[in-house]
Amino acid sequence: MSPTRRDFLKQSGLVLGASGLSGLTPSLTYGAPNVDGSQPPTLVVVYLRGGQDPINSIIPYADPLYAKLRPTIKVNPPGGGGGVLKINKYFGFHPAMKEIAELYDQGMMCPILNCGSTHPTRSHFDAQDFMERAAPGIKSVTEGWLNRYLYATQTSEDADLRALSLQSTLPRSMRGQYGTLAVPGYGANQVMSTFEDLYDCDSNKEARKKNAAEGDKPAEAETELLPEEAMRLRIAETGDESIRKLRQINKLVGNGGQGNYPKTTLGRQFRDVAKLIKAGEGLEVAAIDYNGWDHHAYQGGNQGTMSNMLGNLSKSIGAFVKDMGPRMDRTLVLTMSEFGRTVRENGNNGTDHGRAGCMMAIGGMVKGGQVYGKWTGMERRNLVDGRDLKVHTDFRRVFAETLASLYGFEADKEDFFPEYKSREKPVGFLKRIADA
Amino acid sequence: MRRPSDLTRCFQSMVLFVLAGGFLLAGLSPALAERPEKDLGPALTEREQAFHVLNRLAFGPRAGDVNRVMEMGWEEWVREQLDPKSIDDDALNEQLKKKYPSVTMSLGEALREYKLPYKKGADPEYIKRRNQLRSKARDELRDATLYRAVNSPRQFEEVIVEFWRNHFNIDNNKDDVAWTASDFENSVIRKHAFGKFERMLLASSQHPAMLVYLDNAVSQKPLTERELKLMERYENRDFVPRSVAALGRARGLNENYAREIMELHSLGVDRHYKQRDVTELARVLTGWSVGYNEDGEYGFDFKDNYHDDDNKKIFGSTLRGGGMKQGVGVIRELADHKYTAEFISYKLCRYLVRDEPSEALVDRVAKVFKRTNGDLPKVYEAIIFSDDFMYRQNHRVKFKTPFEYTVSALRATGAQINSAGPTHNMLKKMGQPTYRCIDPTGYYDQAEAWLDPGVLLYRWQFAMSLANNDLKGVRVPDHLQANLSADSLDTRLIQRLVPARIDPQTRNEAQEALAKGGASSAWGVMLGSPEFQQQ
Repeated sequence: MSPTRRDFLKQSGLVLGASGLSGLTPSLTYGAPNVDGSQPPTLVVVYLRGGQDPINSIIPYADPLYAKLRPTIKVNPPGGGGGVLKINKYFGFHPAMKEIAELYDQGMMCPILNCGSTHPTRSHFDAQDFMERAAPGIKSVTEGWLNRYLYATQTSEDADLRALSLQSTLPRSMRGQYGTLAVPGYGANQVMSTFEDLYDCDSNKEARKKNAAEGDKPAEAETELLPEEAMRLRIAETGDESIRKLRQINKLVGNGGQGNYPKTTLGRQFRDVAKLIKAGEGLEVAAIDYNGWDHHAYQGGNQGTMSNMLGNLSKSIGAFVKDMGPRMDRTLVLTMSEFGRTVRENGNNGTDHGRAGCMMAIGGMVKGGQVYGKWTGMERRNLVDGRDLKVHTDFRRVFAETLASLYGFEADKEDFFPEYKSREKPVGFLKRIADA
Repeated sequence: MRRPSDLTRCFQSMVLFVLAGGFLLAGLSPALAERPEKDLGPALTEREQAFHVLNRLAFGPRAGDVNRVMEMGWEEWVREQLDPKSIDDDALNEQLKKKYPSVTMSLGEALREYKLPYKKGADPEYIKRRNQLRSKARDELRDATLYRAVNSPRQFEEVIVEFWRNHFNIDNNKDDVAWTASDFENSVIRKHAFGKFERMLLASSQHPAMLVYLDNAVSQKPLTERELKLMERYENRDFVPRSVAALGRARGLNENYAREIMELHSLGVDRHYKQRDVTELARVLTGWSVGYNEDGEYGFDFKDNYHDDDNKKIFGSTLRGGGMKQGVGVIRELADHKYTAEFISYKLCRYLVRDEPSEALVDRVAKVFKRTNGDLPKVYEAIIFSDDFMYRQNHRVKFKTPFEYTVSALRATGAQINSAGPTHNMLKKMGQPTYRCIDPTGYYDQAEAWLDPGVLLYRWQFAMSLANNDLKGVRVPDHLQANLSADSLDTRLIQRLVPARIDPQTRNEAQEALAKGGASSAWGVMLGSPEFQQQ
């Protein structure tokens, strides 16, 4: 580790740099009244699958190594057209992240650098798995961290729409004992109508009662099902539940226009989350997958594939925050990825799998306008295996603080993360909005 | 009519089975009395029996299958299926060769035909071509899997191959597995599915697909104390000699495979082994890797320079020195262990009989496994010809996996597969893309894993689009639905899909669908009904 680098960072206020709090809107301060009455805060987890390159997202433009290590994919320095959007004397946002940069300036957004897993795997699958189950290296944990949280805190009054994934498959973080719902694509209305009556368990009961009344079976047959009949009922009830929940969602979300949201899948997903939160139906956890961050070749610099994806992300989040207005006080968008990428570009104008990545948090409770996490530079000797950013913040720390801030759920006390007792210093990126 | 006391007992024993299953997996010796289960009757009719074997030991009935099994007698049908070589499948193999040639090739052939050498800094055209060929190999295996399950006359072979495919799961999207998965299926699973378990376990442990998938190929002897000190010494210096820098790169043990071969492939989780045994087995298996032999053929390669020659201590006894034989010895020991017999028997009973199989049945099957040294056909027989197999309480109590559901629908409709891609997209939406399970556990076969809200929606979409011939790549023959009438609905549709005890609600809905939307609607509704999801 290089002491000089660290000192430099401290002096230039990069570690604690609380600049740019100017744009903070009064309605977004801590303790603002809860606009939705009894509605829970909402956590929107955005998973950037494939390994987001942290260095071309939160760019250390002032480090001479940056241009040296990334000759073909470097982003232009600030000033001039299309350069890095300056955070401070050292870091800046990728120019495609205009909306996110504005939220940073308003004090609603923060990046967390050098964040990641304690497990050294560079396999997408293992790394995503370990992260989404918040159990690095432990394969026996099969339930996602969000699901475990939902399960641990469930009550008999849980909303039907308490937890949703905004695409057709449940991400691993949401899988487990707690009944979460993957929202399938549109156009499902017709098929639901076709099967609605067949799976309608109330009228099934009616039909059975009718049969019973006609003398087919004794009246108490209802509770004395054969195992095969019990299985049929279980399937019917599951179908009934899907239709009920999906109808509710379709009603709340409808199809409508995209408004200010980009006309992309991600834009649509954010739009739907906003609609669901506004509907006040108790949405607490929403998961969005954004695939395609594995830029091994031709990832581009100022322009190109990754730039477009960052732009889509930034525009979607920007539109979401505008749309939500004061509701952002109780809404947190958290982006994450399974790992970062090699500091040095590879032979194909791209980057390979690395270690530490960066997370981004956007919300009213975010102590934004600061860069969190410990940055230890890009010198070879400060890198893992001479190539990758070191992990200084365990992602479990971020998860724990998120659950504590939003819901007052104390992960450490609950033994929530298997084989993990955090001795790390808190990141401290969130104000607490939950009642203690 | 059953008496209430029977029912109470039924539910009590159900609870016990769940507990017993839990104990078995938790590694506690079951102290429960193992009284054999009784049939809670009424006994299955002949027709129900035929459906039962076709749903459990085949991927569901095709037109005429139920009658054929009833005529033969189900036991006779099973005996034939248990000896797959006796069933002619030349026509199928011809189709495979034509449609999915890579699955019929040897590993060497497949690599020559489908793998362009990796070139650093190659031009984009070359990279594109290389990727296309890689996808082609991957998709051919995926599509052949579906094609075989639907069309093979050796149905039980396909059913049991699906079991082992998940038991020895590999993900053919990981690195070179795209090219080697096909050979894994042929030379590990198919070759030994009707042989000895030990042979299959050993074959899997020496196949490139498994070694790459579970990272053993890159596992190397850990750094010695001396080497660690050397690295420390250079930690804060600007100049690091090349030899020292090399130590820091990718040098070390990877425990992934060592853990899974015990946890998932043989003993069962936390049975017999401790973390220390995992590490020690990983050391034993260092050097079990992949590479090219003198003739340039790719395959298993024991790398001396990766191998840890020091003594190891595993399961309490010391293994002197190293060498490849050491690993073979330990794997044989695993295959032979009584916990392995129990674990494999438990999983097979769960697959073929019920999600929570009775302790007594598992115990009897495990004894056969042990006595025959893991002779798999004998083990299958012990399950299928047990009394329990045909008990009422085991009938239609399993929930089809997406794969089982899809294949059974294609079989029931007699659909012809021209291109499996669109069907596979549906499987993916249902959560079970073929050969793409990233977990080493493989896909589960219990209802608990699949009976989620959301999933059913895709089954319904599949059912409707298949029945309406809207699903690309597959075609339901016209004669299936021609002239279906209210009078023939029962014999031509309902009875083909459901053995008996159809819920009145389902029947009403099928009748209504026929009246409103015609034969294709009625077929769609029946394929999407709760009854057709039951197995």
